[in-house]
Amino acid sequence: MEVNNIFGPVDIAISGLRAQHKQMEVISSNVANARTTDAGKGEPYRRLEAIFKTDGDDIGGVSLDEIVKDMSDFDRILDPGNPNADEQGYVTMPNVSLPKEMINLNIAMRAYKANAAILKRYQAMVETALELLR
Amino acid sequence: MINLNANVGSILPKTNLDFPGMPKVGGGHQKSDFTDTIKAVEKYISKVDDLQQSSNASVKDLLSGKSADIASVVSAVAKADMSFKLLVGVRNKLIEAYKQTMNMPL
Repeated sequence: MEVNNIFGPVDIAISGLRAQHKQMEVISSNVANARTTDAGKGEPYRRLEAIFKTDGDDIGGVSLDEIVKDMSDFDRILDPGNPNADEQGYVTMPNVSLPKEMINLNIAMRAYKANAAILKRYQAMVETALELLR
Repeated sequence: MINLNANVGSILPKTNLDFPGMPKVGGGHQKSDFTDTIKAVEKYISKVDDLQQSSNASVKDLLSGKSADIASVVSAVAKADMSFKLLVGVRNKLIEAYKQTMNMPL
Protein backbone atom coordinates (compact mmCIF):
# COMPACT_ATOMS: atom_id res chain seq x y z
CA MET A 1 0.00 0.00 0.00
CA GLU A 2 1.43 3.28 -1.06
CA VAL A 3 1.17 6.05 1.49
CA ASN A 4 1.61 9.44 -0.08
CA ASN A 5 -1.67 11.15 0.57
CA ILE A 6 -2.87 12.81 3.71
CA PHE A 7 -5.18 9.91 4.45
CA GLY A 8 -2.43 7.28 4.67
CA PRO A 9 -2.10 7.33 8.45
CA VAL A 10 -5.89 7.34 8.79
CA ASP A 11 -6.22 4.17 6.76
CA ILE A 12 -3.41 2.47 8.64
CA ALA A 13 -4.83 3.38 12.03
CA ILE A 14 -8.27 2.19 10.94
CA SER A 15 -6.79 -1.12 9.79
CA GLY A 16 -5.26 -1.45 13.27
CA LEU A 17 -8.63 -0.78 14.84
CA ARG A 18 -10.19 -3.43 12.62
CA ALA A 19 -7.48 -5.94 13.50
CA GLN A 20 -7.96 -5.42 17.23
CA HIS A 21 -11.70 -5.65 16.72
CA LYS A 22 -11.19 -9.06 15.16
CA GLN A 23 -8.84 -10.06 17.97
CA MET A 24 -11.53 -9.07 20.47
CA GLU A 25 -14.01 -11.24 18.57
CA VAL A 26 -11.68 -14.24 18.76
CA ILE A 27 -11.09 -13.70 22.48
CA SER A 28 -14.80 -13.42 23.18
CA SER A 29 -15.37 -16.65 21.27
CA ASN A 30 -12.69 -18.34 23.39
CA VAL A 31 -14.14 -17.04 26.64
CA ALA A 32 -17.71 -17.88 25.70
CA ASN A 33 -16.68 -21.43 24.82
CA ALA A 34 -14.30 -21.90 27.74
CA ARG A 35 -16.43 -24.80 28.99
CA THR A 36 -17.98 -26.05 25.78
CA THR A 37 -17.38 -29.80 25.80
CA ASP A 38 -19.04 -30.45 22.49
CA ALA A 39 -17.92 -28.50 19.44
CA GLY A 40 -18.85 -31.22 16.97
CA LYS A 41 -16.61 -34.07 15.79
CA GLY A 42 -16.67 -35.44 19.37
CA GLU A 43 -14.14 -32.89 20.50
CA PRO A 44 -14.41 -30.02 22.93
CA TYR A 45 -13.93 -26.47 21.71
CA ARG A 46 -10.43 -25.67 20.53
CA ARG A 47 -9.00 -22.30 21.41
CA LEU A 48 -8.71 -19.94 18.42
CA GLU A 49 -5.96 -17.51 17.68
CA ALA A 50 -5.98 -14.67 15.16
CA ILE A 51 -2.87 -14.27 12.99
CA PHE A 52 -2.24 -10.88 11.43
CA LYS A 53 -0.13 -9.83 8.48
CA THR A 54 0.98 -6.51 7.07
CA ASP A 55 -0.53 -5.15 3.87
CA GLY A 56 2.31 -5.29 1.39
CA ASP A 57 5.99 -5.29 2.28
CA ASP A 58 6.31 -1.53 2.69
CA ILE A 59 4.58 0.91 5.01
CA GLY A 60 1.05 -0.27 5.34
CA GLY A 61 -1.79 -1.34 7.54
CA VAL A 62 -2.51 -4.69 9.08
CA SER A 63 -5.04 -7.24 8.02
CA LEU A 64 -6.25 -10.56 9.28
CA ASP A 65 -4.23 -13.42 7.82
CA GLU A 66 -6.14 -16.34 9.26
CA ILE A 67 -7.72 -17.66 12.39
CA VAL A 68 -5.95 -20.83 13.47
CA LYS A 69 -6.81 -23.43 16.07
CA ASP A 70 -4.61 -23.86 19.10
CA MET A 71 -3.52 -27.50 18.85
CA SER A 72 -2.29 -27.80 22.44
CA ASP A 73 -3.66 -30.58 24.66
CA PHE A 74 -7.14 -30.41 26.09
CA ASP A 75 -7.67 -30.10 29.81
CA ARG A 76 -8.95 -33.24 31.52
CA ILE A 77 -10.93 -32.79 34.70
CA LEU A 78 -12.31 -35.47 37.00
CA ASP A 79 -16.11 -35.33 36.95
CA PRO A 80 -17.55 -38.85 37.09
CA GLY A 81 -21.13 -37.64 37.22
CA ASN A 82 -20.86 -35.86 33.88
CA PRO A 83 -22.60 -37.70 31.01
CA ASN A 84 -19.58 -36.88 28.81
CA ALA A 85 -17.14 -38.56 31.22
CA ASP A 86 -15.04 -41.48 30.00
CA GLU A 87 -14.55 -44.78 31.86
CA GLN A 88 -12.10 -43.25 34.32
CA GLY A 89 -14.53 -40.41 35.04
CA TYR A 90 -12.55 -37.73 33.21
CA VAL A 91 -14.10 -35.10 31.00
CA THR A 92 -12.03 -33.39 28.31
CA MET A 93 -12.45 -29.64 28.52
CA PRO A 94 -11.44 -26.97 26.01
CA ASN A 95 -7.81 -25.81 26.04
CA VAL A 96 -8.91 -22.29 26.91
CA SER A 97 -7.28 -20.72 29.91
CA LEU A 98 -9.28 -17.78 31.18
CA PRO A 99 -6.36 -15.84 32.74
CA LYS A 100 -4.53 -15.98 29.41
CA GLU A 101 -7.62 -14.75 27.59
CA MET A 102 -7.99 -11.91 30.06
CA ILE A 103 -4.42 -10.83 29.44
CA ASN A 104 -4.96 -11.07 25.69
CA LEU A 105 -8.10 -9.00 26.14
CA ASN A 106 -6.12 -6.34 27.95
CA ILE A 107 -3.49 -6.34 25.21
CA ALA A 108 -6.15 -6.06 22.51
CA MET A 109 -7.84 -3.20 24.33
CA ARG A 110 -4.60 -1.31 24.78
CA ALA A 111 -3.66 -1.85 21.14
CA TYR A 112 -7.08 -0.59 20.09
CA LYS A 113 -6.61 2.49 22.24
CA ALA A 114 -3.14 3.03 20.79
CA ASN A 115 -4.52 2.98 17.24
CA ALA A 116 -7.31 5.35 18.21
CA ALA A 117 -4.72 7.65 19.80
CA ILE A 118 -2.73 7.63 16.56
CA LEU A 119 -5.82 8.61 14.61
CA LYS A 120 -6.56 11.42 17.04
CA ARG A 121 -2.99 12.68 17.10
CA TYR A 122 -2.78 12.60 13.33
CA GLN A 123 -5.91 14.70 13.03
CA ALA A 124 -4.41 17.15 15.51
CA MET A 125 -1.23 17.19 13.41
CA VAL A 126 -3.13 18.01 10.23
CA GLU A 127 -4.99 20.77 12.05
CA THR A 128 -1.68 22.19 13.26
CA ALA A 129 -0.42 22.20 9.70
CA LEU A 130 -3.58 23.95 8.52
CA GLU A 131 -3.19 26.59 11.19
CA LEU A 132 -0.07 27.67 9.31
CA LEU A 133 -2.37 28.83 6.54
CA ARG A 134 -3.93 31.44 8.78
CA MET B 1 26.82 55.25 -1.85
CA ILE B 2 23.42 53.94 -0.79
CA ASN B 3 21.80 51.78 -3.39
CA LEU B 4 18.22 52.95 -3.81
CA ASN B 5 17.37 50.28 -6.32
CA ALA B 6 14.07 48.70 -5.30
CA ASN B 7 14.93 45.51 -7.14
CA VAL B 8 16.42 43.50 -4.30
CA GLY B 9 17.34 40.65 -6.61
CA SER B 10 19.89 42.77 -8.43
CA ILE B 11 21.86 43.66 -5.30
CA LEU B 12 21.83 40.12 -3.94
CA PRO B 13 24.07 38.59 -6.58
CA LYS B 14 24.09 34.86 -5.90
CA THR B 15 20.83 34.42 -4.07
CA ASN B 16 18.87 31.49 -5.35
CA LEU B 17 15.23 32.39 -4.88
CA ASP B 18 13.93 29.18 -6.41
CA PHE B 19 12.33 27.00 -3.80
CA PRO B 20 11.89 23.33 -4.54
CA GLY B 21 8.37 22.58 -5.64
CA MET B 22 7.67 26.17 -6.58
CA PRO B 23 6.95 26.97 -10.21
CA LYS B 24 10.01 28.60 -11.70
CA VAL B 25 9.56 32.27 -12.44
CA GLY B 26 10.01 32.87 -16.13
CA GLY B 27 11.41 29.42 -16.64
CA GLY B 28 9.33 28.57 -19.67
CA HIS B 29 6.34 27.61 -17.50
CA GLN B 30 3.11 29.24 -18.35
CA LYS B 31 1.92 31.61 -15.68
CA SER B 32 -0.92 30.37 -13.57
CA ASP B 33 -3.46 32.99 -12.74
CA PHE B 34 -6.14 33.30 -10.10
CA THR B 35 -8.75 31.58 -12.27
CA ASP B 36 -6.64 28.42 -12.45
CA THR B 37 -6.45 28.36 -8.69
CA ILE B 38 -10.19 28.82 -8.41
CA LYS B 39 -10.67 25.96 -10.88
CA ALA B 40 -8.40 23.72 -8.82
CA VAL B 41 -10.38 24.62 -5.71
CA GLU B 42 -13.56 23.80 -7.59
CA LYS B 43 -12.20 20.34 -8.36
CA TYR B 44 -11.19 19.89 -4.76
CA ILE B 45 -14.66 20.94 -3.62
CA SER B 46 -16.23 18.11 -5.58
CA LYS B 47 -13.71 15.72 -4.03
CA VAL B 48 -14.59 16.98 -0.56
CA ASP B 49 -18.25 16.65 -1.43
CA ASP B 50 -17.71 13.00 -2.41
CA LEU B 51 -16.03 12.35 0.93
CA GLN B 52 -18.84 14.09 2.78
CA GLN B 53 -21.43 12.05 0.89
CA SER B 54 -19.70 8.78 1.67
CA SER B 55 -19.34 9.77 5.31
CA ASN B 56 -23.03 10.63 5.39
CA ALA B 57 -23.92 7.33 3.77
CA SER B 58 -21.80 5.32 6.21
CA VAL B 59 -23.36 7.09 9.21
CA LYS B 60 -26.81 6.40 7.77
CA ASP B 61 -25.91 2.74 7.21
CA LEU B 62 -24.70 2.48 10.78
CA LEU B 63 -27.82 4.07 12.23
CA SER B 64 -30.21 2.08 10.06
CA GLY B 65 -28.43 -1.13 11.00
CA LYS B 66 -27.35 -1.90 7.45
CA SER B 67 -23.75 -2.17 8.56
CA ALA B 68 -22.18 -2.37 12.00
CA ASP B 69 -18.64 -1.47 11.05
CA ILE B 70 -17.79 1.45 13.30
CA ALA B 71 -14.22 1.60 12.00
CA SER B 72 -15.31 2.45 8.46
CA VAL B 73 -17.64 5.13 9.77
CA VAL B 74 -14.84 6.63 11.83
CA SER B 75 -12.54 6.51 8.81
CA ALA B 76 -15.07 8.15 6.49
CA VAL B 77 -15.95 10.86 9.00
CA ALA B 78 -12.29 11.57 9.80
CA LYS B 79 -11.43 11.89 6.11
CA ALA B 80 -14.41 14.12 5.41
CA ASP B 81 -13.58 16.28 8.41
CA MET B 82 -9.92 16.65 7.53
CA SER B 83 -10.50 17.44 3.87
CA PHE B 84 -13.21 19.94 4.75
CA LYS B 85 -10.91 21.70 7.18
CA LEU B 86 -8.26 21.87 4.47
CA LEU B 87 -10.81 23.28 2.04
CA VAL B 88 -11.94 25.92 4.52
CA GLY B 89 -8.34 26.88 5.26
CA VAL B 90 -7.48 27.28 1.57
CA ARG B 91 -10.73 29.13 0.86
CA ASN B 92 -10.15 31.60 3.69
CA LYS B 93 -6.65 32.22 2.43
CA LEU B 94 -7.87 32.75 -1.13
CA ILE B 95 -10.62 35.15 -0.11
CA GLU B 96 -8.16 37.05 2.02
CA ALA B 97 -5.75 37.31 -0.90
CA TYR B 98 -8.57 38.47 -3.20
CA LYS B 99 -9.71 41.10 -0.70
CA GLN B 100 -6.17 42.36 -0.22
CA THR B 101 -5.72 42.64 -3.95
CA MET B 102 -9.02 44.46 -4.41
CA ASN B 103 -8.27 46.88 -1.58
CA MET B 104 -4.91 47.74 -3.05
CA PRO B 105 -4.81 51.50 -3.55
CA LEU B 106 -4.15 52.31 -7.18
